Amino acid sequence: MEGEMMTGNLAAAWGARLAGAEYIPAFPITPQTEIVEALAKWCESGAMPARFVTLDSEHSMMTAAGAAAATGVRVFTATSSQGLLYAFEVLYSVSGWRAPLVLVNVSRALAAPITLESDHNDVLAARDCGFLQIHAETCQEVLDSILIAYRIAEDERVMLPVIVNLDGFYLSFTREPVALPDPELVAKFLPPFHPAHLGFKASEPHALGVAVLGGTPYSYFRHQMHLAALNALVVHQEAAAEFERLFGRRYDLVEGYRLDDAEDVLVMTNAFASKGKAAVDAARAEGRRVGLVRLRMIRPWPAEAIRHVLRGRRAVAVLDQNLSPGQGGILFQELAACLYHETLRPLALCSFIGGLGGKNLSEGEFRTIFEQTAEAGVQGKGIGPVLLYTEADHREMVQLQGIAGKVGTS
Amino acid sequence: MIAIRFHGRGGQGAKTASRILGTAAFLEGFVAQDSPIYGAERRGAPVAAFTRIDKKPIRERGLVARPHLVMIGDASLVQDPAARVLDGIDERTVVFVNSPLTAEQFQAQTSLPGRVTTLDLTETALQQFGKRSAISALLGAVAGRLVGLQEESIREAIARELADLGLAVSAIARNQAVGVACYAAVPMVSVTAGPPQPFPPAALQVPTYESPTRGTARISAAGNSMLRETGGWRTFRPVLVPDKCNGCWLCFAYCPDGVISMTKEDRPVIDYAHCKGCQICVHECPTEALVAEREKEGGVAWKAK
Repeated sequence: MEGEMMTGNLAAAWGARLAGAEYIPAFPITPQTEIVEALAKWCESGAMPARFVTLDSEHSMMTAAGAAAATGVRVFTATSSQGLLYAFEVLYSVSGWRAPLVLVNVSRALAAPITLESDHNDVLAARDCGFLQIHAETCQEVLDSILIAYRIAEDERVMLPVIVNLDGFYLSFTREPVALPDPELVAKFLPPFHPAHLGFKASEPHALGVAVLGGTPYSYFRHQMHLAALNALVVHQEAAAEFERLFGRRYDLVEGYRLDDAEDVLVMTNAFASKGKAAVDAARAEGRRVGLVRLRMIRPWPAEAIRHVLRGRRAVAVLDQNLSPGQGGILFQELAACLYHETLRPLALCSFIGGLGGKNLSEGEFRTIFEQTAEAGVQGKGIGPVLLYTEADHREMVQLQGIAGKVGTS
Repeated sequence: MIAIRFHGRGGQGAKTASRILGTAAFLEGFVAQDSPIYGAERRGAPVAAFTRIDKKPIRERGLVARPHLVMIGDASLVQDPAARVLDGIDERTVVFVNSPLTAEQFQAQTSLPGRVTTLDLTETALQQFGKRSAISALLGAVAGRLVGLQEESIREAIARELADLGLAVSAIARNQAVGVACYAAVPMVSVTAGPPQPFPPAALQVPTYESPTRGTARISAAGNSMLRETGGWRTFRPVLVPDKCNGCWLCFAYCPDGVISMTKEDRPVIDYAHCKGCQICVHECPTEALVAEREKEGGVAWKAK
């Protein structure tokens, strides 16, 4: 095997190192901390010629990151969950400055109740802030996506910051083989960062994010961000083609798995998509014509690419590892919206919610998804949102409620 | 694919063992994946770690529900339902137990399913290292032997993983030697991949609305940590040698769990139902009046309630 055994966190740190990040403001949070620890070690030893600074909170960290990027240096930072939310208002400022830094988020479910394991309510809360979002399935993809993210972010047609997301535990603490790209090739892929609209020079004062009242300029500038985000669809494809040419690995906006003759398709994101692919293999072995679509780029939303892979299918199931209380799965809503005008849209759209708080997705649960989705396709009527929660889960919960001193019926 | 699940107690080295195995397989050209599950990140708490080995890309992630090999670093975990050591074990699963008992003796005592093999790694570590220390190299080496990896790749993997943890060169060399000795000594029961039994579809039971009294994450009880006995977390227990005790109360002051009380005669009394065996009292005692004794196998010292 090529490469070396590496956690998703270490792969993220290598992504920042190979990209030549010059400034790294940091604040620790489980399950992200290993990233900034690795970077701190490299900066200390001189292996990485960057300035590493610990801040007093994620809010300060994100402020420092955006301010540094606005002076025209390449900035990397990382956080997770509550940390991302604590930085939240600054995210909107940084994207509004069109400061193209890269932020890694290690997904972890949000409190309350508090937990450490992954789901995507943290990163999807940031879907409207103007950061682009790439969600990774493997440790290799984490590293590669950081390089691709800088290339997209720093393109004149985009100039927006990017979040690269990886799942806590399932990638962050999981080692698998990762090939380290050749630094000389990375330098070819990622030219030095010289933004025309950013910089810090005493003789050329400028102000970013100035006050605009009355709505007209505000509408104009926000719409510019929207167009910049949409441009990233094209820029991503160019970057992906160049990345493949240099490094031999191909990444698309959405990834199709065994789609050729698939009647029913399961849509997933992030690390659990690996398990989804295994489930597709198992279902195929039993004669089910099923496939999987993994959404890799979440912002900008690759509507045309999604329509292309889902056009003409019998039924589509979206497995959301998130829950918007009172609504359901977040990605299901977006997917349904982009299929509405498609004349050959699937006969049934099914919404499943699973993996909340890092809850495992079992082989049996995938079988249930495929069975219910096929049935919905036959009936021509979608279902959901269906929470993947088994009789065994129910028994365990009732027992825990007993221990916690709950009264009343179960 | 071969899936291996390690069970140990925090500090024993189950996670590092899973990495030694993963690295060794990787060095032999396999695709490997390893990952730990952290619960309470505390010495003595049950820990699990997983290694998967295949010739093609691995699609599984996270916990191993149906292991081909289970490596049990501390025999008392078999008695603790919270450790879930027995999950997914069937008659084909190979189960290794770190125990002085033979496989037959251990199975007779615990009715453990699967194809059992044992070796006393803790005793080996005590003899070879002369102190209580992590048994990660030993566990990793034994696992490597059972799944059919080469001695040389195990030796190299031990070096890489322990160097990564910052161990001195001499300590790494000792771990390699003892690991290789365990590799040779473990009674062989070969692990075979075998076609997996397909799981049936999961029967869903979606919760219905319940009043916030039940439906919120709140514990409606006074302090109840006394009910959670953590004595089973120990691999070693602190024991008082009364003649040596000078009544200084330092053990009482240093115990992080408050399980040492003092008599009117200034002598410590240890609550073994809750002592987690961290050995801080043993370390701090200025007169060596507290010594560490290895817990006996088979859940004799403690049973989960």
